[in-house]
Amino acid sequence: MKELTISSDAPGERLFVLGNEAIARGAIEAGVQVAAAYPGTPSSEILETLASVAKELGIYVEWSVNEKTAFEVALGASICGVRAMASMKHVGLNVAHDPVMTASHIGAKGGFVLVVADDPWAWSSQNEQDTRYVAEQGYIPILEPSSLQEAKDMMADAFKLSEQFGHMFMFRSVTRIGHGRSDIILGPISRERRKGSFKKNPSWLVYVPRTARINKPLMLQRFEAIKKAANTLPYNELRLVDGARLGIIACGLSYSYALEAVKWLGLENKVSILKIGTPHPLPEELVITLLKSVKEVLVVEELDPFVELHVKAIAGEHNIKVKIHGKDMVPRIGELSTRRVTEAVAKLTKSKLPVDFAALDKLEQDSGPLLPARPPALCPGCPHRGSFHAITAAARRVARELGEGVEPIYPSDIGCYTLALNPPQQAVDTTICMGASFGLACGMARVVEAPIIAHLGDSTFFHAGIPPLINAVYNKANITMIVLDNSATAMTGFQPHPGTGYTATGEETASLKAEDVARACGVKFVEVVNPFDLKAATETIERAIRFPGPAVVVSRGLCAMIELRDKKKAGVKVVPYHIDQGKCSPKCETCIKLLGCPAIIKQGDKKIIDASQCTGCGVCAQVCPYKAIIQE
Amino acid sequence: MVKEFNILLGGVGGQGVILMSELLGRSAIADGMRVRGSEILGMAVRGGSVTSIIRIGDDVYGPLIPQGKCDVLIGMEPSEGLRNASYLSRSGSVILNTTPIIPFTVSLGQSSYPSLDQILEKLNSVAGKVITLNAAELAKEAGSLLSANIVMLGALFGTGLLPIKVSTIKESVQARFPAKVAPVNIKAFDLGYQVSQQATK
Repeated sequence: MKELTISSDAPGERLFVLGNEAIARGAIEAGVQVAAAYPGTPSSEILETLASVAKELGIYVEWSVNEKTAFEVALGASICGVRAMASMKHVGLNVAHDPVMTASHIGAKGGFVLVVADDPWAWSSQNEQDTRYVAEQGYIPILEPSSLQEAKDMMADAFKLSEQFGHMFMFRSVTRIGHGRSDIILGPISRERRKGSFKKNPSWLVYVPRTARINKPLMLQRFEAIKKAANTLPYNELRLVDGARLGIIACGLSYSYALEAVKWLGLENKVSILKIGTPHPLPEELVITLLKSVKEVLVVEELDPFVELHVKAIAGEHNIKVKIHGKDMVPRIGELSTRRVTEAVAKLTKSKLPVDFAALDKLEQDSGPLLPARPPALCPGCPHRGSFHAITAAARRVARELGEGVEPIYPSDIGCYTLALNPPQQAVDTTICMGASFGLACGMARVVEAPIIAHLGDSTFFHAGIPPLINAVYNKANITMIVLDNSATAMTGFQPHPGTGYTATGEETASLKAEDVARACGVKFVEVVNPFDLKAATETIERAIRFPGPAVVVSRGLCAMIELRDKKKAGVKVVPYHIDQGKCSPKCETCIKLLGCPAIIKQGDKKIIDASQCTGCGVCAQVCPYKAIIQE
Repeated sequence: MVKEFNILLGGVGGQGVILMSELLGRSAIADGMRVRGSEILGMAVRGGSVTSIIRIGDDVYGPLIPQGKCDVLIGMEPSEGLRNASYLSRSGSVILNTTPIIPFTVSLGQSSYPSLDQILEKLNSVAGKVITLNAAELAKEAGSLLSANIVMLGALFGTGLLPIKVSTIKESVQARFPAKVAPVNIKAFDLGYQVSQQATK
């Protein structure tokens, strides 16, 4: 029997998948024809999965330069009548916000789904903003799954609903959906492939003021129709228990926690539950029915009190006397869990907790001081380690000349290099959003007398670094801009980008170089350095910092993970370094203190290099004052 | 009706934790059971702590193990075992690889690494049973250091607690690796299995 895969047309079969694969599978079943995205945890594997089957299934899949463009690519296809989707993380939606707000006036011709992955507890993000407010602002209905099976089913339905109502739909994922794992039952795959066609229609598509005024009422009408339909969509489900005092309204994944909590407390026959799969618009009739049937309600949802506020509004409007709890009982910060919901339900029902959680907390508190900190770190062989050594050495040299106490400032950005926040690099002073390093530097340069060395990665440069680079040139900002070019979108899983020379589906394409872009934008100082040659890189960066006006240095070295993978494939052996203990001074820790490479390990006074981790990059050998580090 | 069974794997990026949970999940499904789980990817691959969760059973809905409900905790490394101890149920078992992975924060002098005795004392105070093994040594014996995660997988099954058939997981291991290295991994599985079977007797 042929092994089951994500593209198998095998309805009824069960497949073990990652949540993002389930989302991609739903789109495949719906016959999506165009998919675009920019990588961002926890959403990246959606497009990666689609890219892996694109040729086989005849889907156009691209990594776009950023989320705004990804959204526009999908919108363009939808306007031409083809099923299309864009996927991104929550903060990516901020980048796409501009077209999203007008696109909802347009609605959808071909089924159009915007997938957004929120990240409660900000596991891999700069914040934990709640996407549902953006959907509300744009009159965009949200589908939010409670399980991976539902994620797959909803995603498949989303395209149909979008066409049925002529409206864009948002699919909201969270980290524990996208990076959850489960078995799912597959559905049939649609083989329909449409040919797109564009019909000129300015009063629909050309947003001069008149068009906005024509289309806003139409948008509101569509939304009202969806609001009515929400009451009968299968994703909203009311289970009333006769005589229940407490009702739970649980949104998306929180429903799974609520179910487990109620069972754990043995309250299955005492609590009514309303499962919410469309937090926006809410199934108002179901909400009213529940509110009228109980004395107290607990709204369970991750992040902000979005459903809670709407439920309170419904209760107020219909004058229903019921006590509504939500964020007074479950946390607003971080992820929910069965425990969090169990505690809230136990409190409201005066039930005994099934487990002594306080004792478990105490165990955690007692163990805490014993445990070593294990933050993620720049990999052994990472080119950024050399880059940061060169940047900080050069910057300190220049700062010293400017006077006592002058410290260089390092506006940074979003990527692996953000890890240089930690010692020993400590070369990350700001991280706000994609591209903000160059932008912030332009402002700082107006008000501070210090070397300002902003840095971002190659993928970030193409995503959002070019407009602030042009701004620096145009407004003559005296800053140094470093592009840390490791030829990959490394942090999210080595996706290709406009500088890598190939596309999402592996086709060869033009390879843009940051130095060419910088020169074309009018930067007068543009140089490329090799981060594994510390001396030369430091000298060049020092000249860049001293250059009056904006300067760009591209520090180019392939991501160590990719380099190792390539070497393995080509059968090239990695030759690690080792420390000659006869030459190494027991008191000296220069290599550790300057580089913090995970492959250099301290054993008492002795320093050794773990040969299984060492990539042979040789940066440590360059900083050793005793020339004790040598290649085997 | 399959009873709830919760497995938590705690380790360090690069130890093969995700592969273990994939093998567990596929095998559970092959045996006709439902599976839920979750992991933290992203930042964790850069040498940080990694946890992966596999939950089996008909009454399991959420992707996370409720604190106090973990049946088996696999510590791929001593401190990562202790880091997740609060998830254990009172009768829960711990399978602990005794080879530490010292984080660079220790070399930098920012934190210290506890002794194995300290870790075992804490774990013994909360777990129903603690099984220790040197997975690296057994992996070497099997023929490859890289098979340490499969040694731990074998040890998990050696407890006899799992609802998944041993033959099913071994088939999954066999199928997952190229023919050249599959026998090494099967041997690694058997070595881990024997250690925990002995300890469970």
